This record gives sequence, C-alpha cells and structure tokens, in this order.
Amino acid sequence: MGSRIIGLGHELPAALERAGVIRPIAVEAVGVSTLAARASAGALAQAQLAADAVDFIVFATMTPDVTFPGAACYLQDQLGCRTVGALDVRAQCAGFIYGLTVADRFIRAGVYHHVLVAGGEVHSAGLDYSEKGVHIARLFGDGAGVVVLGPADGERGVRSAVLHADGQHHRSFWCEYPASRQHPTRMTLADFLSGRHFPAIDLDAMRRFGAETLPAVITEAVHAAAVSMDRVDHFIIGHVLPDVVDSAARQLGIASARLTNPSARYGHLTAAALPVALSEDVASGALAAGATVCLAAAGAGFAWGAAVVTL
Amino acid sequence: MRNSRILGVGHHLPDRVVTNADLQEYMDTSDEWVQQRTGIRERRYSDGWTGAADMGAIAAHEAMDRAGLPARDLDCIIFATLSPDVDMPSSACLLQDRLGIGGIPAFDVRNQCSGFLYSLAVADTFVKTGLYDRVLIVGSEVHSTGIDLSTRGREVAVIFGDGAGAVVVGPEADPRRGVLSTHLHAEGKFAEKLWLECATSRARPRLTEDMIIGDEARIFPKMEGRYVFRHAVTRFPEVIREALDANGCTTADLALLIPHQANLRISQMVAAGLELPDEKVFNNIQRYGNTTAGSIPIALYEALGEGRIRDGDLVCLAAFGAGFTWASALLRW
Repeated sequence: MGSRIIGLGHELPAALERAGVIRPIAVEAVGVSTLAARASAGALAQAQLAADAVDFIVFATMTPDVTFPGAACYLQDQLGCRTVGALDVRAQCAGFIYGLTVADRFIRAGVYHHVLVAGGEVHSAGLDYSEKGVHIARLFGDGAGVVVLGPADGERGVRSAVLHADGQHHRSFWCEYPASRQHPTRMTLADFLSGRHFPAIDLDAMRRFGAETLPAVITEAVHAAAVSMDRVDHFIIGHVLPDVVDSAARQLGIASARLTNPSARYGHLTAAALPVALSEDVASGALAAGATVCLAAAGAGFAWGAAVVTL
Repeated sequence: MRNSRILGVGHHLPDRVVTNADLQEYMDTSDEWVQQRTGIRERRYSDGWTGAADMGAIAAHEAMDRAGLPARDLDCIIFATLSPDVDMPSSACLLQDRLGIGGIPAFDVRNQCSGFLYSLAVADTFVKTGLYDRVLIVGSEVHSTGIDLSTRGREVAVIFGDGAGAVVVGPEADPRRGVLSTHLHAEGKFAEKLWLECATSRARPRLTEDMIIGDEARIFPKMEGRYVFRHAVTRFPEVIREALDANGCTTADLALLIPHQANLRISQMVAAGLELPDEKVFNNIQRYGNTTAGSIPIALYEALGEGRIRDGDLVCLAAFGAGFTWASALLRW
C-alpha cells in the first residue's frame, strides 16, 4: 500500500511590481493559511473529497500566520475539517518534500487514508525592501500549493522520497531574529533596528550547495523509485537561484521542455514552489495523469530532498 | 509491519532554579497565588546564549547513551519546539550541527504542547514503514526569553519553564510491544485562545517596533486561562480513552499515565475523572513548570529513573495545548 496524489490546487496572489520585479504578492491581512485554504478548495474538488473526509493536515512553511500555533491549525479551521491532527513542518525550501514524505508514511502505515499537504509562504511580509535588502527581497514571491493524498496500489503514486539536511551551514540562508536563544529577551528594539529579522543569504554558498546537491538528490530519488532518468517525464526543481536549477538540469541531460523552474516563474516560493508549479503544470495540461514527475528542492538549513511521483 | 519503540530517553534542565518567590522580583505575585492555580513551586531558566538546540543536544546525548547508539547511527532528527533558537532555519538543523551528523534529514515540528507526541507519531510511521531505523526526537523549549515577566504578563509567565527531553525511537519486532498506537487532533478555531501573535505574516511588515515594545506589545504569548482549562479537562480524558479503546484496553490496564505537564490542577482533574489513583499518574510540574514540547520526555525520563515503568507495562502519554492540539500514544514498555 502506498499513497497517490488525488487532488492538486494552487493559489498565486495578484502579480505586483515589488523591488523592481513582478512577483505574486499577497495583500495585507492575508496570511499563509488563507492562501492555502484557497488552494485546498481546488485540490479537494479535484479529489472529489469533502473537507470532513480529510484525516490529517500537514503544512510546510517558514512564514506562518502567527508565531504559534501553526498554520495547519488555521487552515483546518478555514476548511471546516473535523478535529483531525494538524501538523506544522519546518524544513525551509525542502519543506514540501518533507511534508509529502510524512503524509505518504502515515498512509502507508495505515494510520490515515486522506492527507492534505500544503506548502505556503507569504514572504513579502518579511522582506527588506530598502536599498540594503532589495537584492534579496527581489528573489521571493508569495503563494500556496496543496496536494491531497489518498491510498494507492500499483504504479501511480509516490514512488520515492529522499530527505537530507546539513545544519552546519545554517547561517548561509537564515533569519536570525526573533531568537529564543538570546537572553534575557528574544527580540529587542536594537535587534529590530539592526535588521536581523530579515532573511540573510550567502548567495555564493547557496549556489555551490545547489550545484552539488540537486543533481545528486535527483539521481538518488530516481534510483530509489527504480526508474531511469529517461522514464521520468518531467522535473520540477526548486532553488532560490533559477540559474542553479538550469545548470543542474543541463548536467543531468534534462531538456528545457522536461523542466519546470519555479523560481524563474514566480520568484522563490520556498515550501510552496513545488506544489504550486506541479498544480499549475497539471492545470495547464502540460502534465497529464500517468506522467512520472520528479520534484526536488534544496535550500536553507541546509535541507534538501527529492521525490518521484506518478500522477 | 514492524512496530517502533523507545530505545533510550534523555533530558536536560538548566541549573538556575526560579521559585515563585523569585518571580516577585519582576511581578506582583505570590507563592500561594501560583501554587493554588497551577501547582508549580519552581521552574528552571537557562542563560547565556542557550537555545533550544543547545539544551536538546545534551538531552540527545543522554538518550543515545541510554539507547547504546552513537550519533552516527541516527537516520533522522525530529525537533519539537515553539521557541526555536533562531527564526529560520529549524532548531533541528542547529542540533544536527552540534551533533556533527550532517547528511541525515532534520526538521522541526511546530505543534506546541502536543509537539512531542506529533513527532512520536511521525517517527513511529517512519520506523514502521521501514523508511528509517533510528529516529531522534527532541522536545526542547527556552521559554524564559519569550515571556512577559511584568505583572501584566504574569498569568502566562508563571507557568512556563525551560527544559529539554529526547528519545531515540527504533524498530520492535514484537507487535504487542512498543508504540501500539498514536492519536492526533487539532481544533484551529481556538487558535487564539493560547497563542503568540508576532511576528505575523498576516501583517505588512510581519514585525514592527510597536509589536516589540510598549504596552501594546504583541510579541508575548497570550492565554485565556479558563477557556484552555475547560477544554483540557475534556480533551485529555477523551484522547486517553481513544488510545485505550483502539487497543482493547481499559484504564485498569494502565501502569502509568504521563500527561503533558500543563497545570497540576488539570492533571488532577483528569486523573480523578478517569478514576486513576495518584501512583498511576506522573507529575513533576511542581519543579519544572510547563516545558511544552519538553515536558513528556522529561517526565518519561524521571518516571523511568524512579522505577515507575517496568518491562511489559502499559504506558499512556497524552497532551493538550495551543492550537488547540491534543494527542495520545499508548506504549507497551
């Protein structure tokens, strides 16, 4: 017994000019759970599932509605689910692959039948649009993507998922404050004025890391799925720098027609990048039932992972 | 499908003891006021640059020692916290750095007081389905840097303490032993009955000066105490019975209930409702306060140390807290 994607949905807010580029930007008061609720409506409709048939919710984000509780609790309320579990996962840019793996394993273990996995971000609320931070701010966008997983036998479904992290590089892409490790107060006015509550990225380090890990993790996931690279119909690869995705694809011999590069389309959506792109590619007809797709992401943490799914 | 079981348990509590009387230095309170409402006599506060991952690393080493496993044998790290060392990335990544075991997956679970049991449920499915063999779960909190220690914040501040617990989960061939089942719940419509609003990605920008300082600061946890209490004393017994029913057991079969240490008055009311005698319910909140994701593994560590869990015992772990989230796990030790 495995799991299979039975519904997909996405929500991209209106495109606006911000930091000199056009990005999907959520309006004031719209938090990440609201974007995910809109994406869920489509995913549940496609799955022909009512909200009260959802057995479990997994939400991957680094920009939750509030500090606590998690975005999954807010999403559950907006969808009108039963009092099912609502789990928030933090694995940054690889969050969706982590969330998908957790959901797949709950279904495989026979604990749940239908699990909703959301990846969502409202980055625009937390970026430094001043001159100092604009080169980082322009890299990101807002959005949410949702998949509904159900039980499956046979070829269609989640065929592999591989996860990795290496925390010794946590400073290469991080947002330091609020920082509970700072005594006696996790956030002071001085910390705020220093701007260390904005994401800081060592772009050279992220470039090297992506170039090293993306080809390796894609190869690993494809092998784990017991398919060959040329049997994978399409690749969706997430990284903060679109050119890193292009060169990883070139290195693996993936032609541009078989590649979706989400950060080139929307700016980097971190945990939302893969499900938004997958949902959009299915909605546009670029991907059809039976297609085998490899999803991969590498980012902050470092955390990275890849999965092979047959739609 | 194989079961999972807890192979080793570890903990860490900071040295600095803060009594109820000590809190009078910051706020208008009294030992009697705090004890009457919560049963708490004292809690621990960390200092220096101690974060959840720093305390978690000490607890993790102890859990690995007890399990007889070196760090390099771990396959996955799951970190439950609501007070991460830094905003991003996860405390799991910072812990992984301290343990020196780059390469394996590491992620945070953000489910507040139920975080440890949500993590245990995830680890259980990972082991059951053969994805991983050895999963480290850490529950750790540094609350002392995030609470409002003035009189205005006292209702929340007196409850919380710093602490960490850890377990290593591995395979168990005997289907009658180990983690028998897990039960996870949430009810997001009560999200703002116990919450910490800011930073909030609903606002533009997510963090402002006004959120951090002044009388209207929104960077501290807020709680409607009576509301939380009322739901806790309903959901705790419900989810404990759910675990027992799922395994054809009754409260009479239980050797020990370890409730999340939310409030001694809640634990007492839950025990009375289930007709469990004192010796079958473990409480240590008197000494540590509420350590959120840390409380269950810390309590489990102490219960084992006191000889209150023996081989073959049926043990129920249960939690309720912010979200609202609530959960239980039934274990045959």
